[in-house]
Amino acid sequence: MNLTPDDDQRAFVTATADWCRDTMPLEDARDRPADLWNQLEAMGLPGITAPEANGGLALDHATEVLVFAELGRHLAPVALPASAVAARWTGTRGKTALAVAASDGLRLLDGDAAQHGLGIFDGRIGHFALPAGLVPGHSLDPSATLVRLSAMPLTETVDDPRAALHLQLLAAAFSVGCADAARDMAVDYAKVREQFERPIGSFQAIKHMCADMAVRAAVARSQLYYAACALDAEDADTTFHVAAAKRLADQAALDNGRANIQIHGGIGMTDEAFPHFCLKRAHLLQFVASVDAAALLAA
Amino acid sequence: MDIGFSPEETHFREECRDWLHANVPAETRPLDAADAIGFDKAWQRQLFDAGWAGINWPTDYGGRGLSIVQQVIWLEEYAKAHAPWIGANFVGINHGGPTLIINASEEQKAYHLPRILTGEAIWCQGFSEPGAGSDLAGIKTRGRIEGDELVVNGSKIWTSFAHVADWQELVLRTEDGSRRHSGLSWVICDMHAPGITVRPIRKMSGQIEFAQVFYDDVRIPLANVVGGLGNGWKVAMSTLSFERGTGFIADQVKQGQEIDDLIATARANGMIGDDRIAHELAQMRAEVAALRAMTYRNISEVVRTGQPGAEASLIRLFTAELGQRLDRMAVALAGPEMLDFAYGDDNAVGDYLRGFAGTIAGGSAQIQRDIIGERLLGLPRSR
Repeated sequence: MNLTPDDDQRAFVTATADWCRDTMPLEDARDRPADLWNQLEAMGLPGITAPEANGGLALDHATEVLVFAELGRHLAPVALPASAVAARWTGTRGKTALAVAASDGLRLLDGDAAQHGLGIFDGRIGHFALPAGLVPGHSLDPSATLVRLSAMPLTETVDDPRAALHLQLLAAAFSVGCADAARDMAVDYAKVREQFERPIGSFQAIKHMCADMAVRAAVARSQLYYAACALDAEDADTTFHVAAAKRLADQAALDNGRANIQIHGGIGMTDEAFPHFCLKRAHLLQFVASVDAAALLAA
Repeated sequence: MDIGFSPEETHFREECRDWLHANVPAETRPLDAADAIGFDKAWQRQLFDAGWAGINWPTDYGGRGLSIVQQVIWLEEYAKAHAPWIGANFVGINHGGPTLIINASEEQKAYHLPRILTGEAIWCQGFSEPGAGSDLAGIKTRGRIEGDELVVNGSKIWTSFAHVADWQELVLRTEDGSRRHSGLSWVICDMHAPGITVRPIRKMSGQIEFAQVFYDDVRIPLANVVGGLGNGWKVAMSTLSFERGTGFIADQVKQGQEIDDLIATARANGMIGDDRIAHELAQMRAEVAALRAMTYRNISEVVRTGQPGAEASLIRLFTAELGQRLDRMAVALAGPEMLDFAYGDDNAVGDYLRGFAGTIAGGSAQIQRDIIGERLLGLPRSR
């Protein structure tokens, strides 16, 4: 039993964090470098668990979630989880758009320059070739473009249930990172913003909100590690543990996203400040491989 | 990272399970401290004789000297087997003993540690005072030095098992005119010494477990000071990290059993059809799982670095509040039957009433949030 990263994993996370800060800081979430996807691929990030035959690194899910949480903290492109699942389970390579099913058809997220789309349909991963001539528009999340498809494309299904768990796990990792980002942004601001001639972080009303943000992020991160190890070990309770990780991560990202805006006060509600990036990303992720109560209550 | 256990650890788990299966007492542990003391001592003696007391304590003092992971395995199996709470031995085993291991002289350790492990000596904790609860550094109980003795006057409160204890870990002011964290000492106090009066206090659940203690010219040998005169704050704090390491594992396993029982109850009485109840049960089931993951992460940090991770303080707050939400759900599912409660009942209502201690004892939830904000997140001090 060991739920703490080893030296190699720590080094991978640190390198990813450094690279993210230089290349795609959270503050630039709506204005990312044009060749960003090529750079992500050059780093091997969409293929961490993909087989070497498909250009992957063939590492374990534990390593993958550590790195994806770091990517999520910088609001990395949401095509990453979809592309990682595609590379691991479908043999396709290259950018894969994230598909979310809605009652009136599909939402394709971050599909610019992508050849494929992938999402969960009836509990299984389905993937499909993107139709030509799609015109991406805006989504709630300023970092992700959106296309609405009213008709369901011809979809190939991945029968292995672990593929859907993989997408759920990586979406959870992104949410954990998102919850971390909101916590850190709020805490940094509470240290410097002064009212009544004191930093607002010295007031318990603010400090205790920050403490709750820290608890939520740590709870979600711990379950994420456990779930990743469960998937690696093919543990009998993997389905439950991944679902629990997703539920807690979504909750942490949403609650921390809201609290971050409140702690920032007036500026927190504006478009020019960054707290809304975290909240909007949290709302996007809540619809990816979402978890209903029944899944967590099943024996 | 992995969630598996080594073959040796799995074998150890089977040993724990087998022994517990054959030896967990059939009768229920009494709730009042005075009724439970005989039970608690006998059970602790039985644990010691079979080699289950002090699993990761040094062998020199009667422990087994095994790993912290084995300690975790024991505690998990202990809770799964529905073994009784160690009750009156709690302070000695989880607090006094570990503090002595870190800070005491060889003589003090050689005398006290084996007696704690066998259940022969019961310990209680003298930290809080009527005027110093959350503000622990505000304690006023004084020890005046006279020759080779301390002469103690003052009062302590919320002292669990004080009326049945033999020894007390007593933090008091030994330097005249000292303030706050300085001038305090951590002292081993003989609870049978002349000048000590104990007034038991009944809790709102009806049980009598804690007490107020009065000191009227109580004489304590200076040889009973642990870690040096004036170092009391440091000594008291050294134990907290110890407590945070494994202190909540049994709680966490119990909470796992509780949530599954609650889901079964809600299915049986149909209340699971209420979306809000189903949602809350689902959320808590995920949180109980996460608590185990958090505990494992913390233990892994202890193994890697020799001390608990900074996030240990988060576990304490999270487990206390989760425990209370489980208690509240249990009484919600009971409905008007909760009105049938009478003092002495050992049921969900009693757990709910006793459970208020979770966010008060050992540092209130509000103090825990201050600690997380200031020490973990680096926010400026409030006071």
